[in-house]
Amino acid sequence: MPKFSVLIIEDEKNIQTFMSKVLKRHDYRVLCADNGEQGLEIIRSQCPDIILLDLGLPDMDGSAIITDIRTWTSTPVIVISARTAEQEKVAALDMGADDYITKPFGTSELLARIRASLRHSNRLNTDSPLYIRPYRHGEMTLDFSRRLLTIGTEPIHLTPIEYKIVAYLAQNSGKVITYASILSSVWGPYADDDNKILRVNMANIRRKIEKDPAQPKYIFTEVGVGYRMAEDEEE
Amino acid sequence: MLAAATGISFGFFLLGNKNVANITVIYILALILTAWRTDGYLYGFISALFCVIAVNYFFSYPYFKFNFFLDGYPVTFIGMLAITVITSTTTTALKRQRRTVAEREKALAEADREKLRANLLRAVSHDLRTPLTSIIGSSSSFLENYTELTDEERTELISNIKEDSQWLLNMVENLLTVTRINDTSADKVKKSPEVVEEVVSEAIQRLKKRLPDIQIRVNMPNDFLMISMDPTLIEQVLINLLENAFVHSGTAGPIDLIICNASDQVIFTVRDYGVGISEKRLPYIFEGQQTSSENADGHKGIGIGLSICKTIIQAHGGQITARNHSLNPDGSPHSGNSAESLKAYVTSAPRSPGGAEFTFTLPKEKEDMKNA
Repeated sequence: MPKFSVLIIEDEKNIQTFMSKVLKRHDYRVLCADNGEQGLEIIRSQCPDIILLDLGLPDMDGSAIITDIRTWTSTPVIVISARTAEQEKVAALDMGADDYITKPFGTSELLARIRASLRHSNRLNTDSPLYIRPYRHGEMTLDFSRRLLTIGTEPIHLTPIEYKIVAYLAQNSGKVITYASILSSVWGPYADDDNKILRVNMANIRRKIEKDPAQPKYIFTEVGVGYRMAEDEEE
Repeated sequence: MLAAATGISFGFFLLGNKNVANITVIYILALILTAWRTDGYLYGFISALFCVIAVNYFFSYPYFKFNFFLDGYPVTFIGMLAITVITSTTTTALKRQRRTVAEREKALAEADREKLRANLLRAVSHDLRTPLTSIIGSSSSFLENYTELTDEERTELISNIKEDSQWLLNMVENLLTVTRINDTSADKVKKSPEVVEEVVSEAIQRLKKRLPDIQIRVNMPNDFLMISMDPTLIEQVLINLLENAFVHSGTAGPIDLIICNASDQVIFTVRDYGVGISEKRLPYIFEGQQTSSENADGHKGIGIGLSICKTIIQAHGGQITARNHSLNPDGSPHSGNSAESLKAYVTSAPRSPGGAEFTFTLPKEKEDMKNA
């Protein structure tokens, strides 16, 4: 299997070193850029499989890179950002970033994010019929072809809207999905901006699938941003 | 005001109601309102004069002429004047009082803020230095004596570095939350309606990343609960309280997080079944002042965590309290000596308190009531 190449755009040398060490150990080919200009150059010349992007760069606003490359490529971009900046995260995701990771992060978290984004982009690229394969995590199985959600052996009854939400999250499992993205995918592009309806539905779903809604196993909340479904286990 | 009164009186007058008493009452009302709206006696006095003249000129026989020799006229005059003066005095005094109270409150808030700032600074300069010393020391000893160290020693040094940096991170996040509280504007925090269970679950998730062994039992109503808050700040409060309960209770047993939905507020309770809080410290627990000598468990101090909790909850318009409770983990009253009847995770030995309990409330806003 050819190695996936990862581009790290990060001006902080220590963080760059730590990330590239981890990624090299896990068989990724690592490219590094210290600033935005250099990063764009590498993206254009080497076409990395995935880009890790720090938003606070010395020479340009990181979000400018996202808008720039989104005009010609769908290479997944994972934004590295600080915890308190929800607005920044949502803006980056709306601009076309695939996911974000919050500083400081551990190695397992970093690898999981990269895996999830790569898997999703591969699905898009190869048009493979992976959607047909059921989603599995822990006791949960979601069979897309039969529109059936089971926990253990017990089928869970979901309303059509609830099913749409869960299916959309499961198809993007491991990745954060913004409120706006779910709203437009489930209710259509003219959906109301108010995400209360989504949150009510989500609360109902949680009560159906989680044993303890306050300590969920399958669908996690990223407050102020959206939801993230646990990574698909089969792969 | 007076013009309005004259207008209304004319209305009465033209409608055929020529009762001078009614008109006088309207003028008196106008007088009181005038005194209430203005400062000092001057306005009141002038308006009283105007009223008396107006009543005389417009509304008492002979109409549109002055007649100062009506029966009881001096009584009306003196009466009106007296009312004005008294009202003016009262309202002026009231206003002055209100202003002083507001000023005093502001000064108090200012002092509170200053105190928090001072505590923060103290924490920064003192508490941050400890873990940094350990990090620098461990890492340089790792680098300098690499070849002489055994594998276990290396692991130990590195784990110490990790532990201390995580402690530092927690500290920094606490400090950061303070910058999200805006003291100057009326809305101290940026509130948005949030689903309680989502905030709670994210807080627990983040805490579990750091403390994988922590056990938390969440007990909350099954209803959909949405209240206005700054979710990042409330998460920080929950994390601080739960972590405190885990680290300082002296037991590894589960911690209860109980959420109650009251009519005008939501009540959060964090209850541990550990050693409780010493009576001596209880009154000052939110002050953020803690001398190291009192740290019986040898752990780094509670530091500023609790005083930040208090600041956050107060900025939300809620309240936070701490007490010792006397319950067993299963909810039965703590009897003090039936250790064998307790579940296995309760350490042992009869204790008088059942553990520490922190409660905070978040008020529901109008919007939240509508959502409920």
